[in-house]
Amino acid sequence: MRAVLLAAALICAADAAQAHFQLVYTPDVNVSRPGALPLRLVFAHPAENGHVMAMGEPLEFYFVLRGKRTDLKADLAPIAWTGGHNAAAGFAGILPVRRNGDYIMALIPSPYYEAGEDIYIQQITKSFVNKGGVPTGWEETLDLPAEIRPLAKPYALYAGGSFSGQVLSTGEPVPFAEIEVEYLNHPPVLDTNMFDPDGQITPPSDAFITMTIFADATGTFTFGLPRAGFWGFCALGVGPETEHEGKELSQDAVIWVRAYDMK
Amino acid sequence: MTPKPTLTAAVLAVGLLVAGPVSTHTPLFSCFDNYDGTIFCEGGFSDGSSAAGVKIEVLVAGQAVLSTELDADGILETGKPEGDYTVRFDAGPGHVIDVAGGEIE
Repeated sequence: MRAVLLAAALICAADAAQAHFQLVYTPDVNVSRPGALPLRLVFAHPAENGHVMAMGEPLEFYFVLRGKRTDLKADLAPIAWTGGHNAAAGFAGILPVRRNGDYIMALIPSPYYEAGEDIYIQQITKSFVNKGGVPTGWEETLDLPAEIRPLAKPYALYAGGSFSGQVLSTGEPVPFAEIEVEYLNHPPVLDTNMFDPDGQITPPSDAFITMTIFADATGTFTFGLPRAGFWGFCALGVGPETEHEGKELSQDAVIWVRAYDMK
Repeated sequence: MTPKPTLTAAVLAVGLLVAGPVSTHTPLFSCFDNYDGTIFCEGGFSDGSSAAGVKIEVLVAGQAVLSTELDADGILETGKPEGDYTVRFDAGPGHVIDVAGGEIE
């Protein structure tokens, strides 16, 4: 009996070691030509390819280019996304790219009920694509309830460099915000709507699956990016809403950045 | 005795500070084919500043067949010339970009 309890405790501990991350993913975030970029919205554990959570219909999904907002939600199509343990509902979409500049995508998902913790989680997520190398506002905020404002170009970072951001709640800095960091270790395979089962790295211990940092008194943080690829940052519970359908709500702010090798 | 800074040095220093932001930005210019007999060209700078009003020439056999400028959005849409051609973005010395028609797809 004791062994069973110990095993159960270990499973819980293992679950706690990996973080939920809302993905807004397209493989190429620096483009030179116009086109329709494929998008995938997936709620998962990207570092360890763990459980995939079923997404409900997003509340809002759009992009902002040069201050103009364009809806992306209307063109979303439901998909089943396969992770290492299961398959669950996600969405496929398209980002239309024509003019040069920063395409800032923002997703406000519907709250997800996390039965294991008896809480709701809503990860308000930003991802970026740039066309033509012309910066047109990547550093601007989108007035989201929970948001990470990038202080470095989120699509033009070198592996071995660093990324800085500022955690905001309804536009105000969040002092000492807790931020989880994960590496997108299992590249999404769009043709089959799944994570590549083969990870790019093997973390030295479970402590490295989800790394935790804290912002400073101004809500600002910096994280060194040791490897090329996508890195996700999630500021926990920083949004103003704290309750949904009578239960606790963690309104998180997520941002995805991409680091490149210096060749 | 510490030498006094000269006016020339001071002017040079100010000049470097003023020139700094201007000289570090990179011109960016790209074109693509609309596949309706027209091409779409867009200019800008790496610091996000506008390329509105930048001189544009369309050259055929080295001769300008169109001399115009980018509009307020930094865009030019124009008819696609027949044969070999080049679109030149000319924002001044060191800020000239030629895009060959063969690369415009």
